[in-house]
Amino acid sequence: MTTTPTRASSFLGRHNLGTVVGFEFIRTIKKRRFWIATLAIPVVMAIIFTLVFASNSSTRATSEAQKNATLSFTYTDASGIIPDAVATAMGGHKSTDPDTALADVKAGRSDAYFAYPANPATEHVKVYGADKGIFADNTYEAVAKQLLTIAAQARIGSPVLTAAAGGNVTVDTQTFRNGQVAGGFGTALPPLMFLVLFYVSIILLSSQMLNSTLEEKENRVTEMILTTLNPTTLIVGKIISLFLVGLVQIGVFLTPVAIGYAFFRDRLALPDVDLTSLVFEPGPLLVGALLLLGGFTLFTAMLVAIGAIMPTAKEAGVIFGPLMALIFVPFYAISLILSDPHSAVVQAFTYFPLSAPVTAMLRNGFGTLNTTEAIIVIAELFILGTLVLRLAVHLFRYGSIQYSSKLSVTKTLRRTPPELTGK
Amino acid sequence: MTAGGAAIEPLVRIENFRMDFGETRVIRDLSFDVRAGETFGFLGSNGSGKTTTLRALLGIYQPTAGVLHIGGKVFEPRDGVRLGYLPEERGLYKKEAVLDVMVYFGRLKGLSKAQARSWSLEYLDRVELADKASTRLDKLSGGEQQKIQLGVTIMNDPELLILDEPTKGFDPVNRRLLMDIIEEQKLAGSTVIMVTHQMEEVERLCDRVILLKDGTSRAYGTVAEVQEQFGGTLYRITYTGPLPGSDLYEVTAADVGSADLAPRNGADETAVLRELVTSGVAVRSFTTERVSLEEIFIRVYGKETADLT
Ligand SMILES: Nc1ncnc2c1ncn2[C@@H]1O[C@H](COP(=O)(O)OP(=O)(O)OP(=O)(O)O)[C@@H](O)[C@H]1O
Ligand SMILES: [Mg+2]
Repeated sequence: MTTTPTRASSFLGRHNLGTVVGFEFIRTIKKRRFWIATLAIPVVMAIIFTLVFASNSSTRATSEAQKNATLSFTYTDASGIIPDAVATAMGGHKSTDPDTALADVKAGRSDAYFAYPANPATEHVKVYGADKGIFADNTYEAVAKQLLTIAAQARIGSPVLTAAAGGNVTVDTQTFRNGQVAGGFGTALPPLMFLVLFYVSIILLSSQMLNSTLEEKENRVTEMILTTLNPTTLIVGKIISLFLVGLVQIGVFLTPVAIGYAFFRDRLALPDVDLTSLVFEPGPLLVGALLLLGGFTLFTAMLVAIGAIMPTAKEAGVIFGPLMALIFVPFYAISLILSDPHSAVVQAFTYFPLSAPVTAMLRNGFGTLNTTEAIIVIAELFILGTLVLRLAVHLFRYGSIQYSSKLSVTKTLRRTPPELTGK
Repeated sequence: MTAGGAAIEPLVRIENFRMDFGETRVIRDLSFDVRAGETFGFLGSNGSGKTTTLRALLGIYQPTAGVLHIGGKVFEPRDGVRLGYLPEERGLYKKEAVLDVMVYFGRLKGLSKAQARSWSLEYLDRVELADKASTRLDKLSGGEQQKIQLGVTIMNDPELLILDEPTKGFDPVNRRLLMDIIEEQKLAGSTVIMVTHQMEEVERLCDRVILLKDGTSRAYGTVAEVQEQFGGTLYRITYTGPLPGSDLYEVTAADVGSADLAPRNGADETAVLRELVTSGVAVRSFTTERVSLEEIFIRVYGKETADLT
């Protein structure tokens, strides 16, 4: 029965950290509930994709059919701009009596009737058609518009003028910031990816983090744990394992998206993202990554602190809701953040710790966060994150059992846990 | 320590310990030592502060004042003395499998994965739970969970074993198993601190005890010393004929043909026996008994209740 434990005290902390991460990670991943929750999202996404795909292909099928077998329709032209030859080529028959034309559609004798007004610029073109299902019905409008466009092109008589008139031109925009060519949306997108990651990780992981710290308390295992390992190791281990869990979830979510994109890209009505137009600037990317990490540290630390003082998940929810609102409140001021980054409100959002990550990441993406501001915000997030984490460990350690005694906050902050000093 | 330096530091040293919860003073002033290798009984009525003292000793509570040292310093997990602690409030990760939890704690306590695993399987076999290794803990009965918790407590071969009411929730068979395990640990050289309300257990296992009352020590020493302090010995006789009174003893209990005599005025057993014989009592048997710890416990804490009424 006697086993001698390995006692290499120099790397004990790290050794336990690995053990905690492994245990916490594996037991989360093993749960059926976790997989149900995780897989539900891609399943819903797959259903949406299928619907979009189905509707696109049926629209396409109809417009293909439309191209080959022309629609037979009647029309009246009060404007007089539609040449008869063009209309006839598209399958139209000019009518002089609107009432008969309409009655024919109603009776099913004709597929459609288009009534072009005297002035199409100010008045509505009226389209009447036999119902052929929601997707096919769109073709009536398309044909009616197309006929008008072709007629107008015929009148202009110049492809160049037609293109200009139709707004059918390609534009290259170059903007300048501080005398340098600013990259526009192509530069903004890569650093904004960190904002998306931040958003997704907070949404996915925060309630798990909260429950995870409540777990020891609810299972009455706090005393065993506190006498077996350093609480900082436990908390840091839990945070790391949750981060890994988040990576697994993101992987699961992205798989169907990647598959969908790879195989059905041209069939989906997705905006065609031209990857070559993205500009990867190392500065904003680094700032974005650091903001993400700092923000994540601060928020998980806050969640641990809440978990440590609240006896149950239900009660923790009372603080949790407003906290989330404060984190994402900058999204409501997004136009102000983009247009007037130096206004007092945006400055306040930039430096107020809860709104700082989202605000700073937005401004970083759009290039209005200068280096000094970036350094201040990053430093603020990391310093505050570390302090709150220590406070959280303290609250976890003494708050889990010792409810009525006042906690000495300053005392914990003076004592540096070995994990944080890298001992 | 003095310049001579010969004084051996006890394994556990508590000096002038005080503990307040807000306005409530739970421990007023408590000092005691636990020496390496001994089994120490930590006794006291419900709510007298035993669990509080152990928690403060292990850093779970912050003491209001005083020195609480293990191995010469404030306790830190996995830094110094190998500890096995069975808390009063039991609990493990209920939704995990038995073996997973045992291996996890074994790893945290410094065993390798293979060591923790083989030790756990061996232990489960011994406590007749081998078939429950992959069962979730919350599917086990209360007593079975207790066995797992005890296993987790001793799996790192602790130098110091602190047990807060270890027999709580065990049936007589398992209580014996537990006592055997504690005795094994003791024989293997572990120091044991045990909180219990079972005085027979204390008399059977403990070398020294402390009785906690009103936030301080009411009695402290070897079991014999404490018994001595509370009236010490008494003589149980069986006899025929009349039993006259005497200056040398007091009759504390009497039945037909038998009596308990508490010595008075410094009389020892020879003096009492001679007195009985000379006064014509036909003594058939004469044994020396100690006051039971249970009797002492009731005397110490029963009085408290009596004072209140
Ligand atoms: N966290 C706490 N907050 C406030 N009071 C507490 C706390 N823990 C213990 N107490 C109080 O301290 C006193 C001693 O409690 P403790 O648990 O140490 O007693 P005990 O000797 O272990 O009793 P028992 O034999 O019933 O286990 C009790 O009056 C209790 O109410
Ligand atoms: Mg107790």
